[in-house]
Amino acid sequence: MLEIYNLDVNLSYRGSQIKALDNLSFNVYPGEILGLVGESGAGKSMTGLAIIGLIEAPLSISRGKIIFNKQRIEQNANAFRGSKISMIFQDPLVSLNPLRTIGEQLVETIRTHIKFGRKEAIEYAKSLLEEVGIEQERFDAYPHTFSGGMRQRVVIALALAPKPSLVIADEPTTALDVSVQAQILELLKKLCRERETSIILITHDMGVIAETTDRVAVLYSGTLAEIGKTFEVLNYPQHPYTKGLIEATPRIDANSLNSKLYQIPGVMPDLKEIPVGCPFHKRCPRYIKKCVEIKPPLLNERAACWLLDNEKGLL
Amino acid sequence: MSFLLVNQLSRIFDLSEPWILRKIKGQQKKLLKAVDKVNFSIERGQTYALVGESGSGKSTIAMMVAGLIKPSSGFITIDGYNFFSPTIENNIKSSLRKSVQMIFQSPYASLNPRWRVGEVLKEPIKAFNLIESENGQKQRVCELLEQVGLSERDINKFPHEFSGGQRQRICIARSLASEPKLIICDEPTSALDVSVQAQVLNLLKDLQKQFSLTYLFISHDLAVVSTMANRIGVLKQGILVEEASPNKLFEKPEHDYTKMLLSAAPDIKNVSKIP
Amino acid sequence: MKHPFLESDLYYNFKRTPIAVLSFFVFLIIVIMAIFADIIAPHTPFEPLTLNLLNGFTPPMQANEFTGTIFLMGTDDQGRDLFSTILFGLRISLFVGLMAVFLAMVIGVTLGLIAGFVGGVVDTVIMRFADIQITFPSILVAMLIYGVAKGLLPPDLRYEMSITVLIISIGLSEWVPFARTVRGSTLVEKEKEYVISARMLGLSYPQIMVRHILPNILSPVLVIATITFALAIITEATLSFLGVGVPTTKPSLGTLIRIGQDFLFSGEWWILLFPALTLLLLALSINLFGDWLRDMLNPKLK
Repeated sequence: MLEIYNLDVNLSYRGSQIKALDNLSFNVYPGEILGLVGESGAGKSMTGLAIIGLIEAPLSISRGKIIFNKQRIEQNANAFRGSKISMIFQDPLVSLNPLRTIGEQLVETIRTHIKFGRKEAIEYAKSLLEEVGIEQERFDAYPHTFSGGMRQRVVIALALAPKPSLVIADEPTTALDVSVQAQILELLKKLCRERETSIILITHDMGVIAETTDRVAVLYSGTLAEIGKTFEVLNYPQHPYTKGLIEATPRIDANSLNSKLYQIPGVMPDLKEIPVGCPFHKRCPRYIKKCVEIKPPLLNERAACWLLDNEKGLL
Repeated sequence: MSFLLVNQLSRIFDLSEPWILRKIKGQQKKLLKAVDKVNFSIERGQTYALVGESGSGKSTIAMMVAGLIKPSSGFITIDGYNFFSPTIENNIKSSLRKSVQMIFQSPYASLNPRWRVGEVLKEPIKAFNLIESENGQKQRVCELLEQVGLSERDINKFPHEFSGGQRQRICIARSLASEPKLIICDEPTSALDVSVQAQVLNLLKDLQKQFSLTYLFISHDLAVVSTMANRIGVLKQGILVEEASPNKLFEKPEHDYTKMLLSAAPDIKNVSKIP
Repeated sequence: MKHPFLESDLYYNFKRTPIAVLSFFVFLIIVIMAIFADIIAPHTPFEPLTLNLLNGFTPPMQANEFTGTIFLMGTDDQGRDLFSTILFGLRISLFVGLMAVFLAMVIGVTLGLIAGFVGGVVDTVIMRFADIQITFPSILVAMLIYGVAKGLLPPDLRYEMSITVLIISIGLSEWVPFARTVRGSTLVEKEKEYVISARMLGLSYPQIMVRHILPNILSPVLVIATITFALAIITEATLSFLGVGVPTTKPSLGTLIRIGQDFLFSGEWWILLFPALTLLLLALSINLFGDWLRDMLNPKLK
């Protein structure tokens, strides 16, 4: 449904171009939840912005294309924005106008995208609220009267209003408590099932990835490190970075007290200092000579790692 | 007697409007019980974790243990001394300050952006008059930097030249500078990336062994807590609803709220089965 | 090794903003001309012996009909070279403005820091006082202070102290914006963890305020200082124009404008125009530079 081919996004800094996303290619299929995971600065949010067509200076797309339902997405074109692709942000207050009731905001959003009369729009808005788990009586309430989790539900209703076929959720639960987070993720899963909407879930939390997504793409320094079915990637990681990330994630386990967590040495390099070759090789426990010299492409449609480039195809 | 003893600790915040407005509107005082009769204790060299969601009062407890907020009722003793005891002498208060330090959540706000790392680390040494000579101070700073995995070369850098994880290391070094016995860790890794979080948690474990430190570890993340704590207390709206060892808490949680937290916490173990 | 400032974003952006560069250099040239007025000025307008009344009312760039001398900007009624009087006037205007801003800054920053950090009753008292003061136009406040001070001083000191009194009255009338901004920033900074960790060391309030908070709230202070500087110069000019400022024997730009105003309708336009243009140029360059600085140091854009 959504196809991204060889996407390069550049960041212009003091007249020079720095690669922020490098040769990114992946697909999103109808009705799936794709997780986009990586550490801060890996390019997760930037990928989301590119898909929704919001790449603006100092960022620019220098290569590649994004195809959505057989149509190419142009940056800064209003045609696509919000109609078939919606976005949910980390902070619900950013997306809500504090001076207007949630009902007004919903109706307005609906009527800009769908040709509805006022009455129809109100009916539809109320049904949306019900769908995301908010009582219809709260239709005339202002955003500040809602708790954080409820606000995020309103934002989800707003995102669903134009009946999008793809929703990009950028860290939708990071600002919320665990119990509320679980509810919101459950809601997203339900919507994905019932409406057959695809969701791109951007997060840094491996636990959220494990419990929510169907497939997962792991980003490192603007490069796709690994992509595949969540079950396979988490149980049989092929890229040393994915492997490290999984082992470094603490688990709820009484026995973990006496052992130490696995730690990946070093930190992700700054965009200005991404090394030649594989961007991960300086932190990689198993790098070979080739890793230092040439950047690995995605091999076996799974992981960008030269270690896969042997007869067995496994680490 | 336990190293840290928290007894019937309560803290009430007065959220009411000024007296005159209250009289005009005929309102009662608005009081918020942030912490309500909390009891727990920590043995020397152990880690006690307080788990709870926002508004559970865990940070308020941390501030009271640190001696920055006065309890409304109840008391805290550290090594037998109480910050807020009316008879406490100044030199005991000072040595108490020296032995309790804190690490904070935000690696950005917890370092003064205009101070060089060396100055940051020298401040506690100077404040408690630990080392007199300029040379000795510098040596101590280098030693601290090495203990947290940084190097002497970083001494003249500013905080913005470091990554989040490195800044948190600097904060840890600062808290170690006064040779404390108790370190309060208030969500020390929740602003960090996974791989960096592992580094910081491991460092905290190493330091605990090396200096037989006692930790009061505050977090909302049960997975993080399970790798750190000897005992865990679950807080809900200021009340300690359950307290147990990790074994018991994770295997057989008793309180409904604990059960809910455990089922809601995202865990990488629970990867969904092949569809 | 380059100086770190040359590598900073501030300098990088400065080089690429023509209006910032232009206004900065215009201001710099004006300041240099004022500082070296003794060397640059072709005449010494305040030495009565060197003045020739025959030179009076010479239009700019025209030879005087009696003496044949040419003056760049013409002369006034007493035959003083306008260009030279402007240079010396600038010196006084800049000095008064600078000292007044410095005074306002010291008062405002101190009170703002205390109000923000200590809070409670202290905060209420300081800020309500600021609220009351700001309801009066600052020129009125300055005139009031000026009047009271003049009344209190013994007559023989009045003349000597007039510039000091002017500085104090302008300084006292402009401290409120400093105090308000500093208080706001202090409220934000004092909740940050680095301040909490300083409190855990048992440092005293003044130590925390001066060593930790003050260095972190200086950028907005700098912006206000530039804008207040332009304001102070204008206030000084206004006061002098109204005749309550510096004495006519040591004229500032405002005094020159007042003198020029007398001749505006008798055809000697230059006596008013050139001092007024200088004031305009000075205030404009400072304001434009201040605007740019504000945009740069705005925490939202950082």
